[in-house]
Amino acid sequence: MATFVPRFPLQRMRPTQRSGKGRLALAALAALAALVALVAVGALVAVALVGSALSPAGLFGGSRPFSVHRLVAQANPSDPLGVRITRVYGTTTPAKIYGTEIGQQEDQGINRSGQMISDLSPLAPAAFRGPVSAYKRYAAGWLVRVSHETAVLGAALRAGNRAAAESAWRDTWSAYLHLGAVYGLFGSLDQEIDGMPGGVPGGTSSPHFSGLHRIEMGLWTGQPPHSLVRWSNLLAVDVAQLRRVLPGVQITPLVYATRSHEILEDAQRDLLSGMDVPWSGEGVLGTAAGLVATDEVVRTLRPLLGGRDNTLVEVQNELLLLSSALAKVRREHHGTWPTLAELSITQRELVDGTLAGALGALEQLPGSLEAAALPEIPNIPAGQ
Amino acid sequence: MSPLDRRTFLTRSLITAGAGAVGVGVGTSASDASAKRPSATEQAHSVLSDELATRIPFDGAHQSGVLTPAQDHMTMLALDSIAPNGAVLFEGLQALSAQARRLMHGDPVGVTEVDDPPPDSGILGAYDAPDALTVTVAFGAALFDDRYGLGHLRPKRLVEMPNFPNDNIDPTRSGGDVLVQVCANHRDTVIHTVREILRATAGKLVVRWTLDGFQSAARGPTPRSNKRNLFAFRDGTANPDVTDAVLMNRLIWVQPGSGEPRWATSGTYQVVRTIRMHVEFWDRVGMLEQEQMIGRYRVSGAPLGGDGEFEDPDYPSDPDGRRIKLDAHIRLANPRTPTTANQRILRRGYNYHRGVDEAGDLDDGLLFIAFNQDPDRQFATIQTRLTPEPMVDYITPVGGGYFFAPPGTSGPPDWVGSGLAAT
Repeated sequence: MATFVPRFPLQRMRPTQRSGKGRLALAALAALAALVALVAVGALVAVALVGSALSPAGLFGGSRPFSVHRLVAQANPSDPLGVRITRVYGTTTPAKIYGTEIGQQEDQGINRSGQMISDLSPLAPAAFRGPVSAYKRYAAGWLVRVSHETAVLGAALRAGNRAAAESAWRDTWSAYLHLGAVYGLFGSLDQEIDGMPGGVPGGTSSPHFSGLHRIEMGLWTGQPPHSLVRWSNLLAVDVAQLRRVLPGVQITPLVYATRSHEILEDAQRDLLSGMDVPWSGEGVLGTAAGLVATDEVVRTLRPLLGGRDNTLVEVQNELLLLSSALAKVRREHHGTWPTLAELSITQRELVDGTLAGALGALEQLPGSLEAAALPEIPNIPAGQ
Repeated sequence: MSPLDRRTFLTRSLITAGAGAVGVGVGTSASDASAKRPSATEQAHSVLSDELATRIPFDGAHQSGVLTPAQDHMTMLALDSIAPNGAVLFEGLQALSAQARRLMHGDPVGVTEVDDPPPDSGILGAYDAPDALTVTVAFGAALFDDRYGLGHLRPKRLVEMPNFPNDNIDPTRSGGDVLVQVCANHRDTVIHTVREILRATAGKLVVRWTLDGFQSAARGPTPRSNKRNLFAFRDGTANPDVTDAVLMNRLIWVQPGSGEPRWATSGTYQVVRTIRMHVEFWDRVGMLEQEQMIGRYRVSGAPLGGDGEFEDPDYPSDPDGRRIKLDAHIRLANPRTPTTANQRILRRGYNYHRGVDEAGDLDDGLLFIAFNQDPDRQFATIQTRLTPEPMVDYITPVGGGYFFAPPGTSGPPDWVGSGLAAT
């Protein structure tokens, strides 16, 4: 069975406020204090607030530093601050309406034309190259593991050793799930390796139903291990093919950002519900693998998430909680992953509830990682 | 449907059922009853709301519950026959129709000897108000297997529901010999009807699967506005006009000369799909993405780029999907082209809620119900076209089946499906 090692520091991170409005107010106060101090000394300076959670860059979108350029001291009684902001870097919005626009974005998610917009500036698509490359290296490593476990599974089946085959099946399937939500990335290969019989004409009796779940069905419904060797052979071919195509797989920023929360979405929908593990019931094992994959994807995205809402901190906090919950359940089952049927009500509630909490944080990732401006929807031509 | 004239209704009830009130002897004459003070039954009649008093006829050229505007509550009851032979099966079907006809009409609850079980569960009180009840009967392909020698009468296009891509059909929640769709304005009427039907058919028909459904409330902004499904989008906007008889003959009712068995003429194919909607997933999707997956604005129901729910999406002016994506649900389901016009179906779905699943997620969804003349030409074509839609990540079809709803009945003692016995 695959070893599960929580990747998160075993301490709970400080929950932070999710709303942008509170941070906006704090940042405004901080900026105001800075401006007053500068005016008091009559300085003509440029102020750069960079980086921190309270910085405007973190609030107003965009990962670039936020700068206020040329604060001009004015002896104007109606303007006690005596400054005039002429230009805001990092945006084409005129300075005089910048605050209004940002306020609208923060509060309502609409622009001056009344259209829905994101409250963050899109990331450059090129920024995803590094994370995607890192993920591919990670996935390639796990595919080596999948290959190895597939060979072990085949050997156990050929030996007619059901117990060993079931154990090897768990290791193989878990290793594969460490890749994360790969559907759609590898064409039909994912369906052939990890597909369910739903949608296959003939269902479970169809010769087109193959892969890990075909073997799962056979092992847990008493079919002779020898009869499953053909499926493990086919699996080995498909895994080898996957290893060949992985380097060339194109993963767009949108797809990668979406995967960051879809992995555990699938675990909730398909694994903990029992839907995709009808025979083995190994939904907790699969969820643990999905957590590791999610952690890896989030880790690769960390450089992009700095200063974009508070998403990263919230996500890491919730993943930590989920990691701790799973580790607790595993300890209570003497270091093994229990099947869904073996979970007590308390354990079930802990896992389900903690996962739901994690998903509540992960859902922010795609929005925080947008790499394109939201499209403008044209109106239906008049006269229709 | 139309509200029953209460005065006429009251008079007829008294004539047909005597006093009918609990404690009044069976056989009391109408003249005797009319001379007395208002009975409990009469008093019950007098406070019937229009909704409760609304009666929909059981008999007619077509069964009710097809073109009938969807009542608020529904139970779908899939039954398997355990009848040892065709004669007993027909007895069961006759009993089913007789009970449905009685309940849809609405009758005072009869009285029996005090030491006998009452003839009605009585959960609706002394009078079974019609409450716009419809009971629609349909047959599955399994009924035409070799048990009853009905194979030669199987409607030509009636087959077991195909396993479509993305389906995850549970055999215990699909199929069935006989499908009974019970709809009414109130939940208790539906529950009562199901109970009385099962009582009438006991020993011949047994429950295979069942599912309760409900309509969202009519929340406008106009009376015509369609109600929402559990993804919060309006459902049924593009339904064909059920008041257009010519169109219904083209899309819904089986026509003579179509190659179908003669007894099937004026019937219709009923497609039922229990579609689990992963609402927690959906709720984590951005609003814009939700709307682009559907192709409509969530609040108004207007096609993207439009203003009103019933506005034409005008796909010819949007060939690249800049306004409504090419894989949006509404665009794939109904491309609105001349060649797809005869593929349209009549949807009459209901929302359902059946608790939570093992992972603690809400088991909510849509009991998709569609009537069509030819499921190959219509439903299956549409369903196949929908295969690549992005919304498939958020739904899982888990049950249902293909059924054939026979034509309506001519009046007592005719019964739904009598054509099987007469042929």
